[in-house]
Amino acid sequence: MDTTTIDARAWIERFIAEVERRGAELTELDRRAGDGDYGTNLTSAVRRATAGLEASGADTPEAVFTAVSNAFLNTGGTSGPLFGMWFREFAKALGAKITAKALSEAATNAAAVVQRLGKAEVGHKTMVDAMVPAARALAEAAERDADATTALRAAAAAAQEGAASTEDLLARRGRASYVGEHARGVVDPGALTVAWFFDAATT
Amino acid sequence: MPVRQLVNDPADLVPEALRGFARAHPTLIRHHEDPAFVIRARREGDKVALVSGGGSGHEPLHVGFVGAGMLDAAVPGAVFASPTAYQIKAAIEAADRGQGVLLIVKNYTGDVLNFQIAAELAADDGIETRTVLVDDDLATDGQDEGGPGRRGTAAVVAVEKICGAAAERGASLDDLVALGGRVARSARTLALALASCTQPGQDRPSFELADDEIEFGVGIHGERGVGRRPYGPVRDLVGELTRPIVKALELGHGDSVIAIVNGLGSTHDLELAAVHGELTAILDDLGVDVARSLVGSYVTSLDMRGCSITLLRADDELVELWDAPVRTPALTW
Repeated sequence: MDTTTIDARAWIERFIAEVERRGAELTELDRRAGDGDYGTNLTSAVRRATAGLEASGADTPEAVFTAVSNAFLNTGGTSGPLFGMWFREFAKALGAKITAKALSEAATNAAAVVQRLGKAEVGHKTMVDAMVPAARALAEAAERDADATTALRAAAAAAQEGAASTEDLLARRGRASYVGEHARGVVDPGALTVAWFFDAATT
Repeated sequence: MPVRQLVNDPADLVPEALRGFARAHPTLIRHHEDPAFVIRARREGDKVALVSGGGSGHEPLHVGFVGAGMLDAAVPGAVFASPTAYQIKAAIEAADRGQGVLLIVKNYTGDVLNFQIAAELAADDGIETRTVLVDDDLATDGQDEGGPGRRGTAAVVAVEKICGAAAERGASLDDLVALGGRVARSARTLALALASCTQPGQDRPSFELADDEIEFGVGIHGERGVGRRPYGPVRDLVGELTRPIVKALELGHGDSVIAIVNGLGSTHDLELAAVHGELTAILDDLGVDVARSLVGSYVTSLDMRGCSITLLRADDELVELWDAPVRTPALTW
């Protein structure tokens, strides 16, 4: 029985605030294990999202995530469009009300889309390393009939753990794959972004 | 003296240049500002639409090839960066005339991903698209299994010209995918740099060469090539570019080619004509017929000094489509 409500707009606004506050950390991670433009691209994407949300006055989960998806799809690089396609599945599945079941469907489809387009598996040191465990946690929560808040807390913990696991990995996909051993010891900034996103749902 | 450029804020160069470009060709093209794309000024009749795009800094590619007989729309990204999926989708929607859209994509990770996403977004809106991937750069042949594969370079001009001609005659989307794929598979390119290029706002080139060196096997993004070789007279340099292409395409006596001698940005037409002279001398010796040639700067790498040579194995059908009328800012006959 779902007794809690999650406000999609407030969730996204907290996520955007976190990216604005800690964007420099992402840039530093990407500078050590990529080409250094990740933080800048992500910051410009969330600013575009803010403008889109303000222009559209979006308040339903579908409208909010559509605005966020479009902003990311209009971002350079490869992470931006992949996040755009990821958020798009949330827009499709969440409809008017955020439930654990809808979140499970959204995150499962979203992770699958990113894996298909980015050709990345878990363990390749990419955003997928946080997306897949978060989706699994949401699916388990939905099966237990957990409420949306409980489900999202589980997803945030799983995403955090997934992001942390990238620290010791050798990159197999994405920009970090070009720098080989230099990327070992560096958390993947894409996976960290996913963890921030789920954290922002319930904090 | 550091490199100097005609530029305001480097971040504004691409949109400012697009505005100026559109004003120069008002009878041929229109410029949509946000999201940015260039589209034909006149769109009449049913046909498959052709859309291409990629990073800026390669002008006149791709925006210079929008017009009758070639592209319907072109989508420019930032300098050396893919256009966004959102931009590409907007161009697909604007160019579509109900017969589907052919996407012509140079093989780079960002371009391939963003065009694929745009195609999926367009499909959700009921627009059918198919893609021709252009991967002609011989310098990047035979790299790691599972890697990105050969880069796409100057052969994209031939794909756009030949598919553009066929589309005007009413070829179907399936026909155009097959034709474009055939052109891409039948073409190979090699390039060399005498001096590298400088990004807008930078004051020095992306790499330096010693006085007696050239960079062999360069791409079109100012990156280093496959190795440094000795500088020498044009006949030697053209031989080094041409022989591997002849071998890769297995060209021999009685075969026919369309040749593209392409300047990389800062190479004078006088030198490009000399390159073409050397190229035809080599092909004449081999008994390879040069059916048609295109000589000039068409796929550039900002202000790089150097050239690329593209050979396309030709037959009567390809030559006939090559000869068909074209009217674009950068190519007209």
